[in-house]
Amino acid sequence: MGGMSEVPKPDAATPDPSTVARFRTVMLPHLDAVYGFARWLTRDPVAAQDLAQEAMLRALRYFHAFRGGEARPWLLRIVRNVWHDQRTRNGATDQPLDEIESRAADGPDPEQSAVASDRRRHVAAGLAALPVEMREILVLREIEDLSYKHIATVLDLPIGTVMSRLARAREKLAADLRGRLGRRGHGLPDL
Amino acid sequence: MDCPTCEAMVDAYVDGELSATDSAAFELALETCPDCRRRLEAARTMGGLLRELPADPAPDLLRARIERELRAIAATAQPKSPRERIRWTAMAASLVLAIGLGWLGGSLSGQGARETDELVSGYLRVASSERAVDVASSDRHTVKPWFAGRIDYSPPVHDLTAGGYPLEGGRLDIVDGRKVSVLVYRHNQHRVALTLWPASSTGNAAPKVTQRSGFALAEWRHGGFEMRAVSDLAPAEMASFATAVDQAVDADR
Repeated sequence: MGGMSEVPKPDAATPDPSTVARFRTVMLPHLDAVYGFARWLTRDPVAAQDLAQEAMLRALRYFHAFRGGEARPWLLRIVRNVWHDQRTRNGATDQPLDEIESRAADGPDPEQSAVASDRRRHVAAGLAALPVEMREILVLREIEDLSYKHIATVLDLPIGTVMSRLARAREKLAADLRGRLGRRGHGLPDL
Repeated sequence: MDCPTCEAMVDAYVDGELSATDSAAFELALETCPDCRRRLEAARTMGGLLRELPADPAPDLLRARIERELRAIAATAQPKSPRERIRWTAMAASLVLAIGLGWLGGSLSGQGARETDELVSGYLRVASSERAVDVASSDRHTVKPWFAGRIDYSPPVHDLTAGGYPLEGGRLDIVDGRKVSVLVYRHNQHRVALTLWPASSTGNAAPKVTQRSGFALAEWRHGGFEMRAVSDLAPAEMASFATAVDQAVDADR
């Protein structure tokens, strides 16, 4: 896809200070998005930090191949590639889900409404429990607010596949949430 | 528009991916298709639910780790003197620590974790910075008075050269919202950051040394002060450092 196909070999030269300075201006503002995406991929805040850091450093090495345009999809694609590499390296061991679900129940919730925070916990747990192909596409669309074109870039898929996968992911999550959330008491219209 | 077409368009419509013409056609079709109206409502609800998940911004520690790497990379690209090379080696060592720290921060919980996080970030500043201390001196009579007026207590300051830990100086840090004194010691190529503040409980508590991902933390109470030491020393060395501190404190009384 466009600029992304120009990713050079990993042995790119050490970037000079002016490249680092430009990288700081263009890419660093997207660190929250990088970390957020890494969190949903890894489902673990600590692994997410390592992933985000490795991705940012790889992005810096490849930065000379960035031809302008949208920085966020470009970065998120690198996050995903690094994650795949890490999984290959570590034998793809995902966190057991019960641990994730119990953690989703921890932590203060900014909103006082118990109903709303209960609902958010269920939604977060439902999203975390989805298979990764569904999880990542929903995060990119609904949380990162990327267009189909950008999602296609990040996931390296044709737009048609983005659309069908997104529809399937929404259906699956809706079905899961119907199971998790009783309809009453959550102020939800039908899912 | 028949229902399968309409159904296929729901997602694209919700996502704002339809052209103006297609959107208009879809809206028209919706009027006669209650199933697709329900489907649209469900897709919108789903989007709303996912968007209300609390954002999880990048932790400060991650930001600091990346900043440090960027600084190091920018600097290694410059021609460097042997002296500088040594400094960057030290910085690389502290990066290893920083990575360990991420793990540490996530594996502890609550108050203690935050304190440990703060202490270890403080140590990383000491280990990686060119200006590790605010007052550089091996003379306790220079370091101790420097703290006066900067914090609301007077920390015991000792040069531990005799025990193998020469004093490098002191600095201020913030732990748990309180300004605290940090003494920096050197041991061969390692630095030890000793953070201390007046204890709220009485009596001494023996040093407890824990090791996490390649660096050592010691936690103890002695002579009316809470002591926290962080370093990339081996745990056994960390224990002797703590003993050396305690002996110096006792000798002073």
